[in-house]
Amino acid sequence: MIMMGDGYTGKVLRVDLTKEHITTEPLNREWAKQFVGGKGLGARYLFEELKPGTDPLSPDNILSIWTGPAVGTFVPLTSRYAVVTKSPLTGTFLDSYAGGFFGPEVKYAGFDGVIIKGRAKKPSYLWLNDGKAEIRDAKNVWGKDTYATEEIIRKEVGHRYARVACIGPAGEKLGLISSVTSDLTRNAGRGGTGAVFGSKNLKAVAAKGTLGVEVPDMDSFLTWTKEMVQKDVVENPDHAGMITDGTPILVDLSNDAGILPTENWRTGVFEGSKGINSDAIKSRVLARKKACFDCAIACGSWSKVSKGAFKGAATEGPEYETLGLCGSNCGIKNVEAIIRFVEDCDRFGLDSISTGNAVALAMELYEKKVLTKKEVNGLDLRFGNETAYAKMPGIIARREGIGDALADGTKRAAKRIGKGAEKSIVEVKGMEYPAYDPRGSIGMALAYATSDRGACHMRAWPVAAEAYGSMDPWSPEGKAAICVEDQTRTSIKWSFIFCDFYSVNFANMAKYYTAVTGVQSSEAHMRSIGRRIWNLTRAFNVREGFARKDDTLPYRMEKNPLPDGKPKGHAVPRADFEKMLSEYYKLWGWDDQGRPTRKALEDADLRDIVGRLDYLS
Amino acid sequence: MSKGLKADLSKCTGCQMCTLVCSGSHTGKFNPSESRIGVEDVFPEPGEFKLAFCIHCDEHPCVEACPVEAIKLNESLDIYTVDKETCTGCGACVDACPYNGCWLDPSGSYSIKCDLCNGTPQCVEVCPKGVLKR
Repeated sequence: MIMMGDGYTGKVLRVDLTKEHITTEPLNREWAKQFVGGKGLGARYLFEELKPGTDPLSPDNILSIWTGPAVGTFVPLTSRYAVVTKSPLTGTFLDSYAGGFFGPEVKYAGFDGVIIKGRAKKPSYLWLNDGKAEIRDAKNVWGKDTYATEEIIRKEVGHRYARVACIGPAGEKLGLISSVTSDLTRNAGRGGTGAVFGSKNLKAVAAKGTLGVEVPDMDSFLTWTKEMVQKDVVENPDHAGMITDGTPILVDLSNDAGILPTENWRTGVFEGSKGINSDAIKSRVLARKKACFDCAIACGSWSKVSKGAFKGAATEGPEYETLGLCGSNCGIKNVEAIIRFVEDCDRFGLDSISTGNAVALAMELYEKKVLTKKEVNGLDLRFGNETAYAKMPGIIARREGIGDALADGTKRAAKRIGKGAEKSIVEVKGMEYPAYDPRGSIGMALAYATSDRGACHMRAWPVAAEAYGSMDPWSPEGKAAICVEDQTRTSIKWSFIFCDFYSVNFANMAKYYTAVTGVQSSEAHMRSIGRRIWNLTRAFNVREGFARKDDTLPYRMEKNPLPDGKPKGHAVPRADFEKMLSEYYKLWGWDDQGRPTRKALEDADLRDIVGRLDYLS
Repeated sequence: MSKGLKADLSKCTGCQMCTLVCSGSHTGKFNPSESRIGVEDVFPEPGEFKLAFCIHCDEHPCVEACPVEAIKLNESLDIYTVDKETCTGCGACVDACPYNGCWLDPSGSYSIKCDLCNGTPQCVEVCPKGVLKR
């Protein structure tokens, strides 16, 4: 049946880079109903088609790009696309997202999703245009940074505003903390998406389209969504700080709460915070506000450095995570240096969260004399040394000297370095922690441990209720329930695909779903889909061998109490962590090893995957 | 004095909500390439946004250039708009306009430009930062 006007294009593109073969097939409508788009659909296709145990950097890994039914419509804050694959950093399911303009362009070019397998014989890129696709020679862009790549590809395809998602040198060299970069500064950053591109000899996916996206009833759709933009986005009190400041507003909040990662997680209070907070950005570097497609908030800031050693550097942001991990965590007291660093992360195609952690690790090991000056490329890599620090993105991307170890993330780097370095790393499943220290917000330890892609703040965010809110930040009570609720909500939210910064509730998501697809929905319906998706990604990871043993608490979080600020004297007690974890599994209806039970899967309407899970037979 | 939209570009964030609502209300599809207003983002340098739309100038060279008289006076709004049925898509108006105010539809079969939405421009209504004014 041909369905018109339900938000979907109805088409999925399949690309076999080994065979140089491209086909278009109808979207699996049954799965679209069950999993919506983005995270959910990507997870369902990946679960079905990826053989368990596949090497993430082998041609057999599946690299997919997904939009959602709301992408490209007037539903507010739905500019995002998802890169869904098996992560080479963690070995888990991986979904990484970026806003900007690429996602809608994939829809306008005619595709809900793109599924890529194999490995091209020579560097290539994929060009999507009005229902057609082509594998093109990437010889003019291989080796180039992401800024140059975008510019050259636009010229080659003959569209000034073709949108380009590409890798930089870090992804080409298979760095496991490399990202996919689009619109210069937007990154599907985490988990080594760039290395998966690189392993397939795929430099970029470019898109331009004029096919448009249809909804069931344009007039009533526009009338209602215009009202929602005003009432639920512009006037929503949850968005006030995002409109005035964007994510940098969190620097002061975290520093006051004592959870701002500082000097490789030595403390949570940074004496130089005034040089990297939102006021510093606004008074020193802000050039103008910049939005993603279809966003009335415009949290982004285009920032330029106009004087000093880093004059000429510019970026969109820097965002809170970058200010924390690449700022305070490296002892950097000036936002100008961070802008230089993160512009280079974007140009080289590096995840700034993992890269900031990696540089901070090297700084600590250098100061402790575990690494000699010679071993850190002859640099005086002290915390806060801006000159040495600013060289690190290039060193990591090109794998020069210490960069060769750091390029694969802190877990692998510490193993290579040895000498007790593993006590200085802060990661789960190989993915580095984002910028909220759980020693001052204990629920975050559970959020990081149970995220389906390794330590991530975008699956559950209990810090809002704890360190930033009124809940006891050191009590394990009630934290499992927050994680379950957040993970349910974000699973459906990342399937539309909404931006994190739209504080949209289940009831309104149901209304958007109905307005876009024409299918009746409800809060309960949205919740059931969220639960289904989270059970599915957990099942994927269990099928890959993950269990409770991998839902870990980093050594430093357990053994080294914070020395300053409100959390002074606090670590994360092992007993509290285990208690939260057990309670969490129970709330999901999983067994004590964190494996979804037959009943949990049946309740989530995932009967069709039960037979694919050996532990249930 | 032109009768078209006015823009304060210093406030523009490049969100393109104008192109979404314009294409949605004119064509029944969300499709920025069919929008009557265009947004260009020019980054990293000079780091600015540009808007393209018909300013409904007094000279209207497009009207003079059209060989088939497809750009007709809308008397109630006192502006010239394109009659899609008459337009042949020859592009003479696009070449004649010094303001980058009109262009061909993606199909190439007719010219499109701002018609002020019968007096209540949708882009003005939805612009979240107050960039556009009538």
